[in-house]
Amino acid sequence: MDKHRGEVEETQPAEVLREYGPFDGAARVHGVTYDGARVWFAGDEGLQAFDPASGQPVRTLAVACDAGTAFDGRHLYQLAGGVIRKVAPETGQVLKTIPAPGKGDDSGLTWAEGSLWVGEYHARRIHRIDPETGAVLRTLESNRFVTGVTWAQDELWHGTLEDGTSDLRRLDPVDGRVLVRLTMPEGVSITGLESDGGDVLYAGGGTSGKVRAVRRPRRSRR
Amino acid sequence: MDALVSVAARALREGDPLGALQRVALREDAPALALRGIAMAQLGELTQAAALLKRAARAYGPGDALARARCGVARAEVALAARELEGIDLALDEALLVFTHHGDTENARYTRLLRARHALLLGRIEEAERTLSALEREGLPAMPSTLAWLLTFEVAVRRGTPRVARPALEQARTSARRARIPALFAEVEQAARALDLPAARVLSRGEAQPVVLDEVEALLESEHLVVDACRRVLRAGPRVVTLSTRPILFSLLRVLAEAWPKDSSREELVRQVFGARRMNASHRARLRVEMGRLRAQVHEVAGIQATPQGFVLEPRRAVEVRVLAPPVEGAGGAVLALLADGEHWSTSALALALGASQRTVQRALTTLEATGQARVLGRGRARRWVAPPLSGFTTTLLLPASPLPG
Repeated sequence: MDKHRGEVEETQPAEVLREYGPFDGAARVHGVTYDGARVWFAGDEGLQAFDPASGQPVRTLAVACDAGTAFDGRHLYQLAGGVIRKVAPETGQVLKTIPAPGKGDDSGLTWAEGSLWVGEYHARRIHRIDPETGAVLRTLESNRFVTGVTWAQDELWHGTLEDGTSDLRRLDPVDGRVLVRLTMPEGVSITGLESDGGDVLYAGGGTSGKVRAVRRPRRSRR
Repeated sequence: MDALVSVAARALREGDPLGALQRVALREDAPALALRGIAMAQLGELTQAAALLKRAARAYGPGDALARARCGVARAEVALAARELEGIDLALDEALLVFTHHGDTENARYTRLLRARHALLLGRIEEAERTLSALEREGLPAMPSTLAWLLTFEVAVRRGTPRVARPALEQARTSARRARIPALFAEVEQAARALDLPAARVLSRGEAQPVVLDEVEALLESEHLVVDACRRVLRAGPRVVTLSTRPILFSLLRVLAEAWPKDSSREELVRQVFGARRMNASHRARLRVEMGRLRAQVHEVAGIQATPQGFVLEPRRAVEVRVLAPPVEGAGGAVLALLADGEHWSTSALALALGASQRTVQRALTTLEATGQARVLGRGRARRWVAPPLSGFTTTLLLPASPLPG
């Protein structure tokens, strides 16, 4: 366990290792995820994936991205317009369309423990649904917070965008203090941030349509 | 610790279990299992949560004491939510030692909050209070801060001091807004109802009036002679006569108080207190004896005069007599008060929380079930009791608690 005792804020320019894109059909980058092999990002016209080694786009799924996407290990589920579409990632083919329980107020979708989960955060409801039929198995109307203990987070990175300038920050997970700031060049924005689990952070570039790989600096040990 | 786990952990902490699952739902390694377990707990899937946390603890193995302690606390928390109250303090104490040893202050603090919550659920108000007063409130993150203030509020409510409870509630609201966790905010609002809903009824001169906690507090601070049927005491301003171990005497007193300023006939007293339909000579003699005992108990604050028909209560000072009656009468009241949280309780957990024997609780449950006020689910060891919430009343004064400050 690392204690960040006496650690002060370090500011350094971000080392941009590589820029990807812009890609066709993605003038803007909303969010970024990494599935262990490919970088996925939500663009204007759907989900796209590229290979971070070659920089080549490998997949575009023309699914609306106005709400959650879930992955059960084999299929993608995309929530949009009050329905959930089950999509084969290899072909982009829609295999099934099931109704979403939230009637448009759906604000989150994930696959877990054999079911799909749809959150209606405004209504404080979470539905557990059968991924095959869309049948609602259970609805939780939460009025009690059964929380969990906090799991140590080794490093907490966070992209900010204020007044047109962006930086990447490493925060102290306990008290939110800024430990490291990586400043991005003027005019470069950050939308969405994901780590590859190693020394690279992928940052969505907003309206530039780009995704940037940034080196995660090694923590200075004292 | 990889990035996905740390993003998932942060999502959980922000009350976004779906966002957490999004990152780790497909993984089987120890930290992912633990986070999946916690997410399931937040989604109310307690059985699944417990199983995942158990697997996580096994996957970590004996080498990682800190991670196992975290699993232990999460499991204790699931048990608490499932109202399986035995052995929780032990698990929390063990974890607390590990957290303190490893300098995990955040989880140490959180574990203390859980201890206070557990104590409160068991009616150990002082213990909850002690635990809370040892907590540092300054600079707390929003979620633990909300929990701490919420517990402070609940302690004050259970103590019958709404004046202390209100500011704590406001602090809890402010923190909950900061935390932006819908379930947490809902919990604060749910708790707040204790101040707005009637907590008891006041009977006076044959009229019954529902009263909220503020009015209860005002009544107990007044000069009136108050027969408090929630705690089985007689109060006159600062003077308190405790009759909690003398049920017959208290019943007599209550009949007299409800009839005041009129007298109660001997027939009425015998019927209500001894449950006899007709009075005979031995009832008459017993009534005289018990009335003599009651007179001795209450003589400082009230006299009891014989009348041609029976007996009448006479306060020592020119004040009114009021009866403070619980929202639910009878032995089942306290059991119902616990069940009113809507959770599934086992008989043993109810007995533990009430400090009563399982047999007593079982008797009360049988009566409640016969009158349709409680339902039983499952069989054998999995038997659980549930009740619909008491509509329109808060159960504050029915819950087990140390005596109100007199």
